[in-house]
Amino acid sequence: MVSSVRERKNGEVLLTVSDMTKTFGPVTALKNVGMTLKRGDVLGLIGENGSGKSTVSSIIAGMQTADSGNMTFLGEKWEPQSMLDALENGVGMIVQESGTIAGVSVAENIFLGELSQFSKFGIVNRKNLNEAANSVLRNIGVENVTGEMPMAALDFQARKLIEIAKVVMKEPEILIVDETTTALSQHGREVLYKIIDRYRAENRAVIFISHDLDEILEVCDTLTVLRDGNMIRTFEKSEFDADDIRTSMIGREMQGDYYRSDFVPTREDEIALKVDNVVVSGHVNGVSVEVHRGEILGIGGLSHCGMHTLGKVMFGAVAPDSGKVVLSDGTEVKNEFVAMKKMLGYVSKDRDNESLILSASVKDNIAVAGMEKYAVNNFIILDGREKKYVDGQIDSLSIKCSSRNQAVQTLSGGNKQKVVFGKWVGRGSEILILDCPTRGVDIGVKQAMYQLMVKLKGEGKSIVMISEELPELIGMSDRLVIMKDGKVTKEFQRSKDLSDAEIIKYMI
Amino acid sequence: MDKVKTNEKFSKRQKLISLTPIIGLVILLILYVVIGIIKDINFKAGFEAIVNQSVILAIVATGAIFIFTLGSFDISLGASTLVSACAGGLVYNATGSVALMLLTCVAASLAASLVSSVLGSIFNLPVFVTTVAMMSVLSAVSEMLITGKGGNQIRISGLSGLENIWVKLIFLVIFTAICVFVFEFTKVGRRQKALGGNPVCAKLTGISVKTYAILAFIMAGVGIGLGGFLTAVRASTITSGTASDIGMNIFIAIVFGGMPISGGPRSRIYAAIIGSFSIRILSQILTMLLAAVPGANGIAQIVRAIFFLAMVYLASMNYRTKMLPR
Repeated sequence: MVSSVRERKNGEVLLTVSDMTKTFGPVTALKNVGMTLKRGDVLGLIGENGSGKSTVSSIIAGMQTADSGNMTFLGEKWEPQSMLDALENGVGMIVQESGTIAGVSVAENIFLGELSQFSKFGIVNRKNLNEAANSVLRNIGVENVTGEMPMAALDFQARKLIEIAKVVMKEPEILIVDETTTALSQHGREVLYKIIDRYRAENRAVIFISHDLDEILEVCDTLTVLRDGNMIRTFEKSEFDADDIRTSMIGREMQGDYYRSDFVPTREDEIALKVDNVVVSGHVNGVSVEVHRGEILGIGGLSHCGMHTLGKVMFGAVAPDSGKVVLSDGTEVKNEFVAMKKMLGYVSKDRDNESLILSASVKDNIAVAGMEKYAVNNFIILDGREKKYVDGQIDSLSIKCSSRNQAVQTLSGGNKQKVVFGKWVGRGSEILILDCPTRGVDIGVKQAMYQLMVKLKGEGKSIVMISEELPELIGMSDRLVIMKDGKVTKEFQRSKDLSDAEIIKYMI
Repeated sequence: MDKVKTNEKFSKRQKLISLTPIIGLVILLILYVVIGIIKDINFKAGFEAIVNQSVILAIVATGAIFIFTLGSFDISLGASTLVSACAGGLVYNATGSVALMLLTCVAASLAASLVSSVLGSIFNLPVFVTTVAMMSVLSAVSEMLITGKGGNQIRISGLSGLENIWVKLIFLVIFTAICVFVFEFTKVGRRQKALGGNPVCAKLTGISVKTYAILAFIMAGVGIGLGGFLTAVRASTITSGTASDIGMNIFIAIVFGGMPISGGPRSRIYAAIIGSFSIRILSQILTMLLAAVPGANGIAQIVRAIFFLAMVYLASMNYRTKMLPR
């Protein structure tokens, strides 16, 4: 291991990147990017979706190669052949998307490819394997997961923590954290922040990628801004200024409001959707809540509080054990089919797996939900009408794509999310259930989403915004419901005096 | 400027890959003609043989595209075609009515398809699993139909007027036109593709997995019925070995035609037609080339396997795009 043969001197240059260029088919992801990473440094990479943050870090971590440019690691040429090669030689990356295998145990995931160290004559000693996994997990502060647990039984956050454990146990000199915190609750984030603090103290280095500017300002020592594949500017800690950084990121000063500018809760009298004493075993415990027309209802809490399940119940995707979801005309939302018929829309937290067909085009993804809007006699699809419908959404949401036929999997996260919004907004959904709608999207796209929500509210639509981010819940909601352990613990009305601290005590 | 060039290069490559099945068919056709000239074959008879062999495969494969689009697979296609042909043959022998025979063929295959898909829906099983069971059941049913009157075959006579290339082509054109309409120009086709692309997302868009699985099997059932009818007309004698290779040939044919093996939004009806004709032309070429070679059949199988793998690789290149990590 690199760490065992060198003394770690603070400030020593660990990694250099120079003139790095990378293209993906029609897209130039990086243009002559250069950067330097020193020991003891926590370098933030920030930029809008598609700016090249993940591309440069994935090249450093051996996930892919650059078209041109040079890298050095500890003074020597750095050309990792794979992520495994990079990890074994001192650079580890926690990837943005899920990197675990569902069909095996936690321990098998952590020691994937290394089971031979626990086997004799080809037989794996599961006791030793599980104990080793438990030790790795405890070392990073994960207490509620054990090695023998099946991966499939874990939620998104726990799976992410397993990924973190897998990388950190190798003690790389450089740890790359790519958009990891969006999948983590406060506890998960604290686990990660402790690891980052340790890395700083041990004179290793961290590259930290996040869209959360507040978080990045808190965690990082220096900050490099990327835009459209170009390196724009590096900020030292003393230069950190949120407005300057935002301007560097988007290349202009932000126009218009970010969150809502008003602080008066408004809504129509009519109740659009009513959740009546819903119980889902282990998730939701007797929740009753109403959403009015023209209202943005925020639902907040920790990741496991039941709010994500509640969102699915509202859309009919999860059948409650008892209780019901009823619309203004008395219709009970029993399944997704009824929800669609009654003009409900649902944006899942798990965008890639639940809200998009990744291999399909932008057109196919947007069009599939809105066929009743453009199909002749609600049955026959004519190409011209379909294209017009899709182009309308691409234009109104400013989706950045080379054409409507571009595969969604090649879009950036923010543009993927815009496609999901286009799918539901285009069909004229009257009630939108948005589960973490701004997860993993940059501030420019976030602002566009918020402005769209305000516009929809103005049109009398009802919006349920489920989120783990308190600032956006406070900034956008007319009414904010806080959940804990499957129950509603508090309801707040919109107010400019509402603060994080006041809300958090009802969450934990 | 560089970006524009790269963009053009990228889309040209994509177009080229998507045209591979058609280019492949044209190349095979040219090869067939060139080798045919060298070997001095009777082209009229040769082309008739190709069409005769291809049409039945193409019709059944065209219907089966609806199942493959869902990312599913029906292993009982051959057995179902045989049952359909047997039932139709028996009805024709009993009534002398071609119309009743055709209706019986379609009804028999529709019944088999519906049983597979409805069972899958009731027991919440992947339909592939129920088709495995259905294959055994259908084989037993066909055996009973064939041996029901004491013999080991069903002889059908008096249908030679229908044993005509143009009749077959008319069947193919009409059925393909219906399938293209449903698949490309209706909500049904769009939803089938969405389900194949991501069933979870499709469900959360209000698309019923069960309903569209049943609809896919209905379309496939009609294709099998027509295939069974033409099989009965062509064979004139139906035995338990009739249509036995159709199931596997359909799978190979649609892959030859450029269908992604995982189904989904890039599924195309024309894959069945192009693939069916390609595979039959390839077989004819191999027959000509290997006529005098010992173990010709085995060599032909190996060549087909190599072509199959090559087509899977090429087809996957078109949608296996590199992920852009942001």
